[in-house]
Amino acid sequence: MGLNYQFVLWNKHKKMYDKIIVLSMLLYLILFAVVTLVFNSETSIETLILRAFGSLAIVLLHIILVIGPLSRLNTNFLPILYNRRHLGVSMFITALIHGGFALIQFHALGNTNVFYSLFTSNLDYNSFTNFPFQVLGFFALLILFAMASTSHDFFLKNLSPTVWKRLHMLVYLAYALIIGHVFLGAFQQETSPFTIGFLSVGFIVVGSLHLISSFREAKIDKSIIDKDAQGWLKVCTIDEIDDDRAKIFTVQNERIAVFKYDGKLSAVHNVCKHQGGPLGEGKIIDGCITCPWHGYQYLPHNGQSPPPFTEKVATYELKLLENIIYINPKAFEEGTEVEPTQIQKT
Amino acid sequence: MKLIIAIFLGVLGIYCAVGVLFGFYFIFFGAEKIDPFMKETKKGVRLLLFPGIVATWPFLIKNVVNPKTK
Repeated sequence: MGLNYQFVLWNKHKKMYDKIIVLSMLLYLILFAVVTLVFNSETSIETLILRAFGSLAIVLLHIILVIGPLSRLNTNFLPILYNRRHLGVSMFITALIHGGFALIQFHALGNTNVFYSLFTSNLDYNSFTNFPFQVLGFFALLILFAMASTSHDFFLKNLSPTVWKRLHMLVYLAYALIIGHVFLGAFQQETSPFTIGFLSVGFIVVGSLHLISSFREAKIDKSIIDKDAQGWLKVCTIDEIDDDRAKIFTVQNERIAVFKYDGKLSAVHNVCKHQGGPLGEGKIIDGCITCPWHGYQYLPHNGQSPPPFTEKVATYELKLLENIIYINPKAFEEGTEVEPTQIQKT
Repeated sequence: MKLIIAIFLGVLGIYCAVGVLFGFYFIFFGAEKIDPFMKETKKGVRLLLFPGIVATWPFLIKNVVNPKTK
């Protein structure tokens, strides 16, 4: 967060993650080259580059797709989530090298425009098994380009969070196109069971993790909460919330995060104004609720980002009766100050 | 099919060309109208935003034409 835009918002941890990403990618490429040359020494350098970068892009895409559900299932994965943006851009660059190299190798050597050649070198669009798989890769790359090139807070703010989020949800369409690209490519050009096997396992893992995390969230949403005579909702006991952490509850179809900090309790709407991150999965840092996704901060007692920032979330009233926390389901306007509920020391 | 492909690629080319033209105007002039943070943003960062502006110019152009006070 700053008063101008920066090239990259690096900090010590992000620099470390980026170093790990770059080193892991290099290690993968070297290992891929060594294994390929050991088992198939006749592989040309062009084919090796194409396959190394193509397979690396797929591996990275799978990691990107499982980070979200994994961090919902286990908070130990949250640090990886913070760096997903850099991983996404790295994946796009890898895919671009693969796609660019394929265009040069297969379509740039004739007199025809490379893109026209890409779309017309195989016109079997009515066939299922012989469908021009490179076209699928081209469309996937277009989506990945739109996503990577808008992976900056400027676009989040100026496209609006809704448009930005919808654009970035296209990653699932890109994933489907890439699966089609690889399956058809493997079917038409090689018979290695490894490629199809890896992609099948990857698809099962990605799908399963998304389903499991969705079921878990649905369970939270459907949990029944008791009401008292004044209509306040009984949510949990104090002991169920760790210090400087929160617990999330769904009240009247809205998710609310109840935070415990400095012997006090405060409740805010769970959705961060930045990218819709789950505030309740974050923690209190320097007295502020800190979103686990990108570190956006809000003061717990009024839901306002500390000055000069202007983001605000709705706040809620809490009360404490015999160690049981009750919440008033009626939300206050975003940024409304609510006196924190004091926890009596026993 | 070849005609459809030619039309598609033509439209894509025009989209990119308009995006490039708009992008040059936007990163140095237009962006400041819709986002005060851009006034203090360095040229290198503006260039970093260029590909994204080319990709999403239809969404940004309406904000430049009708800027909101932020």
